[in-house]
Amino acid sequence: MKILLVEDDDALIAALTRSLTAQHYIVDAVKDGEKGWLYGSTFEYDLAILDLMLPKLDGIRLCQRFRSEGYTLPILLLTSQDSSTAKVQGLDAGADDFVVKPFDAAELIARIRALVRRGSANPLPLLTWGDLHLNPSTCEVTYGGQPLTLTTKEYDLLELLMRQTHHVFSSDEILDRLWSSEAFPAESTVRSHVRRLRQKLLAVGAPSDFISTLHGRGYYLKLPDQPDHAPLTGSSIARLPQRIAPETGRPVTTERATEQLNDQSLHSASHPTPRPAGYLNDREPSKADQQAQYLAFLNTTWLNNQPRCLEQATLLLDKAQQLQSQVATPVEPATASHSIADLSDLPNDQQEAHFAAHKLAGTLSIFGLTQAMQMARYLEERFKCPTLTIVDLQEMSALAAQLQSMIQEVHHIEAVQPQERLSQWLMINPETDWDAALTLAAHHQGVDLELVPSLDAAQTWLDRASAANSLPKLILLRLNALPTTAILTFLQTCAHRSPRLPVVLLGECDAWRDRLEILRCGGRWLPEPTLTPEQILASATRFLGDTLTDTKVMIVDDDPAWLQTLPQLLRPWGFCATTLAEPEQFWPVLQTVNPDVLILDVNLPQINGLELCQILRSDPRWRRLPILFLSILSDPATQNQAFTAGADDYLCKPVRGKDLATRILNRLQRIRDQAS
Amino acid sequence: MASKRVLIIDDEETIQTVVQFGIRLAAGWDVITASSGPIGISTAQAEHPDVILLDVMMPEMDGISTFKILQSQPETEHIPVIFLTAKAQAAERRQFQDLGVSGVITKPFNSLDLPEQIAKILYWQLEV
Repeated sequence: MKILLVEDDDALIAALTRSLTAQHYIVDAVKDGEKGWLYGSTFEYDLAILDLMLPKLDGIRLCQRFRSEGYTLPILLLTSQDSSTAKVQGLDAGADDFVVKPFDAAELIARIRALVRRGSANPLPLLTWGDLHLNPSTCEVTYGGQPLTLTTKEYDLLELLMRQTHHVFSSDEILDRLWSSEAFPAESTVRSHVRRLRQKLLAVGAPSDFISTLHGRGYYLKLPDQPDHAPLTGSSIARLPQRIAPETGRPVTTERATEQLNDQSLHSASHPTPRPAGYLNDREPSKADQQAQYLAFLNTTWLNNQPRCLEQATLLLDKAQQLQSQVATPVEPATASHSIADLSDLPNDQQEAHFAAHKLAGTLSIFGLTQAMQMARYLEERFKCPTLTIVDLQEMSALAAQLQSMIQEVHHIEAVQPQERLSQWLMINPETDWDAALTLAAHHQGVDLELVPSLDAAQTWLDRASAANSLPKLILLRLNALPTTAILTFLQTCAHRSPRLPVVLLGECDAWRDRLEILRCGGRWLPEPTLTPEQILASATRFLGDTLTDTKVMIVDDDPAWLQTLPQLLRPWGFCATTLAEPEQFWPVLQTVNPDVLILDVNLPQINGLELCQILRSDPRWRRLPILFLSILSDPATQNQAFTAGADDYLCKPVRGKDLATRILNRLQRIRDQAS
Repeated sequence: MASKRVLIIDDEETIQTVVQFGIRLAAGWDVITASSGPIGISTAQAEHPDVILLDVMMPEMDGISTFKILQSQPETEHIPVIFLTAKAQAAERRQFQDLGVSGVITKPFNSLDLPEQIAKILYWQLEV
């Protein structure tokens, strides 16, 4: 059972979290009402505990907000006022119960149990399923009178299954319900907990399928004495309704709510992207899922922040106009007008505008609204100028007005902004004479240069970078003698590890034989004596031209074996692959990943690849996205259909990694050629 | 890697909220927040975080002054500090490095990438 605790008193948070955790509850604690809303509307909770007095949004208003948005989760209010007015107010706001501080932890927990029970499909204090008994008050579990010793998570899992016995819980759902929003275990964790729980149940005489698996759906408790009876109701029907649609007053299940959001995201971009499920990222199973969750959080936060951002932009406009009216006659901007003053010397209006612009730029940056952020930054700088002319101020007013309308038009944060990173290079420099000059030159060229003194150090560094999936864009190796066997082996290892990562050797190497040897081992050569550190770095950039690290490939295929294999096949070429097994999640995943290339299977459940391709080709945003089909179907008719639907290329399974990479690279090269 | 505690000192509350959410989501680390230099210093003294993310430009006490005080206090001098700043120019970066700051992260950033970036700057081993 997962509880949201909204309380601003640290000591009380610590004490309550301790007591609740001891009773197997998972607690997410936040310290103000706004955050309470953000967490409550982002994650799923079985109950919320709200303090009445909270910063930003008090408990009553937060409670009202949950109810007006259709959230039906049980809400318990904590208050220090023992007056009937406060209680009536709280209950009228939609709270289910009231506890007055100071309170007895045991009483609070008993009330929580009662509230959870009321919302549960099983309203009895003792949970029973056949011979299995679970007592939530004492946390005791028995099967046929025999006690079971369970770990916390095993107990939590069993309680969850027993509270909603007609529900099939997917692994995703179990992760959502039993782990705090700060923990992100893999799906395999659920499997291992289920396995261990089954073993323990088996040991006390329960049937081996007491916890049954509905293939592709999830886990449920099999009906006692009806061994072959799967649950009567599907997961979407049996699920406890968490939201009531405000427009109809009718309950909607979480799955339905997600579907609705998905439908909306197909037609418009004005709603937060729902958390897509069922797809894997090559690098880390939960990475794409996290991105979607983060994006949804950004969208909710943006909705709360947009009015304030608008106010700040309006203030900037007002201040620029006010200052404009104070300047009597137009003056040509002088050079001095761009000098930076000590802020305290500026008129109050200017100081205020400067800080508003600074805050606005900060806020916009966190949402990835780069263009608006740059405008705010520019205004921030301009408001620092001590002698603004009327021309400056006219320009600033126009800019502030533009910024205002730009903010007004942002209804949806569409993508999580990629991290702006310096290009990282690794350099093996056995002699330290150049270290300082190289570092300086790298700074000037926007290169994050990692210097190591030896091949061994480079190898260690690369192992670590490879494990963190952050290989450098280029490796420079300075020779102080002729290439040795160790160097050639190093080149071969690098070529094997990442065939498209350029390794450039610097140094005197006049013999053709040596140069040829370097080339054969995958290296490039750059003569050093004529070059300065700046020239070396500048010359080395030309070797970067054909690297495609960070190229994002999205693969849609319902065959799990291919979904596992393809990212591995593509990894040596530096592609970052995201795989998706369920086409119904296609749209949110596509928008989140924003791939450079899409690989589609032809036969997919629900929507086939050809249909997806046609939809994309009719959408201006995705019309130019390179689409490659990869299918077991090798007949000319299907291939023809694919090309008619708008495919750029068609490959038949099985395919070799090298062939697939080459076809992707060719397609990307063609696009680059067209663009240039 | 054991869970880490991050203190973010930034006067912009939205940044605090989003960074806190992003870091918790991506790495499960504990994130504590402070909205000014003086509050940040006392929080650092009381909470002993593993790293401090410090906004460079804040009203009243800016990031550089805050950093200098943190460095001068025995309870906080050992805590690595990473500056959060709008696009830092090379000269500014050098100035920060000369001060003894552990690293610089430029805004805008994706909060989900922060744990990885912090780990890289501080040579922490992230679980992959």
